[in-house]
Amino acid sequence: MNRTLERILPKVQKPARYTGGEYNAVVKDKDRVDTRFALCFPDTYEIGMSNLGCRILYGLMNEQEGLWCERVYAPWGDMEAEMRKEGILLYGLESGDPIADFDIIGFSLGYEMAYTNVLNMLDLAGLPLRAADRKDLAPLVVAGGTCCYNPEPLAPFVDFFVLGEGEEVTLEYIELYKKARDEEWTKAELLREAAKIPGIYVPSLYDVTYNVDGTVAAITPLDGVPATVTKRVVEDMTQSYFPAKTIIPSTEIVHDRVMLELFRGCIRGCRFCQAGYAYRPVRCRDAKKLGELGREACLDSGYQEITLSSLSSTDYPGLVDLCDDLLDFCQPRNISLSLPSMRADTFSMNLMERLQKVRKGGLTFAPEAGTQRLRDAINKNLKEEDLLQSVRTAFSGGWNGVKLYFMLGLPTETDEDVLGIADLARKVYFAWKECAPNKARGVRITVSTSWFVPKPHTAFQWEAQIPVEEYQRRVNLLRDALKRDKSITYNWHDPETSYMEAIFSRGDRRLADVLEWAWEHGAKFDSWSEYFDFQRWMDALAACGLDGDFYAHRVREKDEVFPWSVPSVGVSREFLWRERELCYASQTTPDCRTRCSGCGANKFLEGGVCNG
Amino acid sequence: MAEHRLLFSKSGRARYISHLDLMRTFQRAFFRAGIPIKHTEGFNPHAFVSIALPLSVGYSSECELLEFGLLDGVREEEVPARMNAALPEGIVIHECYKALRPIKALTHLNYIITFDYETGVPDGAETALKELLSRESLVVTKKSKKAKSGFTEVDLIPLIKSWTVEGRRDTLVADVVLAAQNPGLNPELIRAAFCEEFPQFAPGFVSFHRRETLDGDGKVFR
Repeated sequence: MNRTLERILPKVQKPARYTGGEYNAVVKDKDRVDTRFALCFPDTYEIGMSNLGCRILYGLMNEQEGLWCERVYAPWGDMEAEMRKEGILLYGLESGDPIADFDIIGFSLGYEMAYTNVLNMLDLAGLPLRAADRKDLAPLVVAGGTCCYNPEPLAPFVDFFVLGEGEEVTLEYIELYKKARDEEWTKAELLREAAKIPGIYVPSLYDVTYNVDGTVAAITPLDGVPATVTKRVVEDMTQSYFPAKTIIPSTEIVHDRVMLELFRGCIRGCRFCQAGYAYRPVRCRDAKKLGELGREACLDSGYQEITLSSLSSTDYPGLVDLCDDLLDFCQPRNISLSLPSMRADTFSMNLMERLQKVRKGGLTFAPEAGTQRLRDAINKNLKEEDLLQSVRTAFSGGWNGVKLYFMLGLPTETDEDVLGIADLARKVYFAWKECAPNKARGVRITVSTSWFVPKPHTAFQWEAQIPVEEYQRRVNLLRDALKRDKSITYNWHDPETSYMEAIFSRGDRRLADVLEWAWEHGAKFDSWSEYFDFQRWMDALAACGLDGDFYAHRVREKDEVFPWSVPSVGVSREFLWRERELCYASQTTPDCRTRCSGCGANKFLEGGVCNG
Repeated sequence: MAEHRLLFSKSGRARYISHLDLMRTFQRAFFRAGIPIKHTEGFNPHAFVSIALPLSVGYSSECELLEFGLLDGVREEEVPARMNAALPEGIVIHECYKALRPIKALTHLNYIITFDYETGVPDGAETALKELLSRESLVVTKKSKKAKSGFTEVDLIPLIKSWTVEGRRDTLVADVVLAAQNPGLNPELIRAAFCEEFPQFAPGFVSFHRRETLDGDGKVFR
């Protein structure tokens, strides 16, 4: 280990985050490696190590001979200060080598509030922030993850974005890079060729012009690059790479357990949900294969918990059978099963018994809206009676706490809908009174509301986020309505972060200057209250002559050219508009298994039929 | 429950794993290695492991002791190799054996404290350190969880059983035997006392290495 590093590690909090050397971390012989990849996650080690996508790419890349992928996370403020003071450049955890000397630097972008960390990490690496100022072929700076479906605020900083699932395309662009390096292409030549790979969006090859009112006038492809870039998907989940053997951190991380990915996509089609549209079509991993992978992952990791992960795990066909298969292995070994995402209408006695066999966790449901009318309008397709039945089941089984998540400010929401949240919470309370076997222990019902952020590539991409005063009024309305219910706790999100999210999630390239200004004035870790400074963001917008409300609170015209017009998730704009109109008619759309609604994502699959 | 012990070392990158994290790492490593060990009883059973005398984060050691209960079916001699294949870099098991003496008989620890001077050891530093350790009494204030004020006074000298100091070109090496428990002495307090008494000789960096576990007779404790 580097001597300077050795001297600073005793001074910082949780130094094990900065050392590498964990079980299963891949260390290769540098003499037998010709391409170095820095897989960067723009948040702390604890959060980045919990990301399954990064684990997949890490495992997949390191299976390749001659290619070495290392991990990089954002150092916390104390470590950053020491690094800057001692002149230590951002390094890969496996080798300790500065990533500025690597071939490719790849960022995983899952949350807009991590953008300033991308800039900060480039700076800590000793690299110019803007792609145009990095003239050499290496290091190439790329980014993937769900934020890339509208990556415009980061466009000037990143050489290209990778849309969709990375299992195949990652190796394709690495091959292209190696060819470019061996044949000594210029960076411009490489980028032009990269743009020919399906799923790769090279922002510098598109010219954006604006109207007087600030909306986008046109996005013009240059050099014959495609007008739309469609995401990549892995067709066969059962055959696709899964990291059963993966790094086991030596310090505690957020999701410190085996993550078993059941399927990708979601059959539900909630109109506010970007993931629900962006990960289409639904592709399941075979149950037998999942059983094998789960056992292998437990044996290799030593973890005592498996989480069955997906966007909506209770929609996995044969979930109970899968649980039984795993429990035969898990129970004698004290390994528990957990489900992170449960629909309130699919929680059954059958399932409950299987989840609590080893250990009993908390129970969380997300009805999202308080009335049936609004739940229909957002296509949540959850009936009140089904939710109440689920909580009765849970309370009868001995659970004495339920968390309920809602959003305020959904399109078409009225005060009646807001007050409906209080009514629903009360009904859940009465369900407890009716069913709890032991009332002496009391009950904890937690209601949490967030401020709805309209996202690109959803039915609500045209919508305005409600103004902050209105959000606050609705919070107060609900708070007053719940005042007297002692068993119900009400939490609400602070509006400032949600406002910034609303700006950046549907932002355009001009916001790059805002990001850079905010970073220059100290912004980083904006998803952490320790660092987030709302006034700094207001100052950044003002300094760049931009109006946050224009991005957050404006209703878009039907045919407006969106900044995110080039990236495509494979779901047609016409379909999304139709869904929006159905919302205003409070009409639901059936789930993908019941009936195909023709969103367009079926074209990703051979034969054009989603199997769900 | 704790019928067996592992003797292991902790060095390199593993020095920065905290005590709690290290226990978790061992619980998982036993499972990975397929070595069945005793579990705690009760509502939430978990693999029982206990590490004697927690080592501060950043220190290296070649004499750590972990207590656990090996279940039937695995021979003690095969434990080190199987565990080493399942542990992260820097933690190496040297021996697995039946515990014969209670941990309370482990009364002293031998540490090597290395004071690092990048531009060479200043004149007088070695003498100063020797003078400090030769005193009749050396009372320092240290943080305390029990005391109301949050601080307590402790005399270091009675807790230092023996010492030698050797001056080299860039380092000053103190080889000390310190009380291990009830109460024990963290060698960091020696560093702090030296830097406070002789700020002009404050080194650029100090590293700590735990070399041996000893009993009351000064013999190796296992």
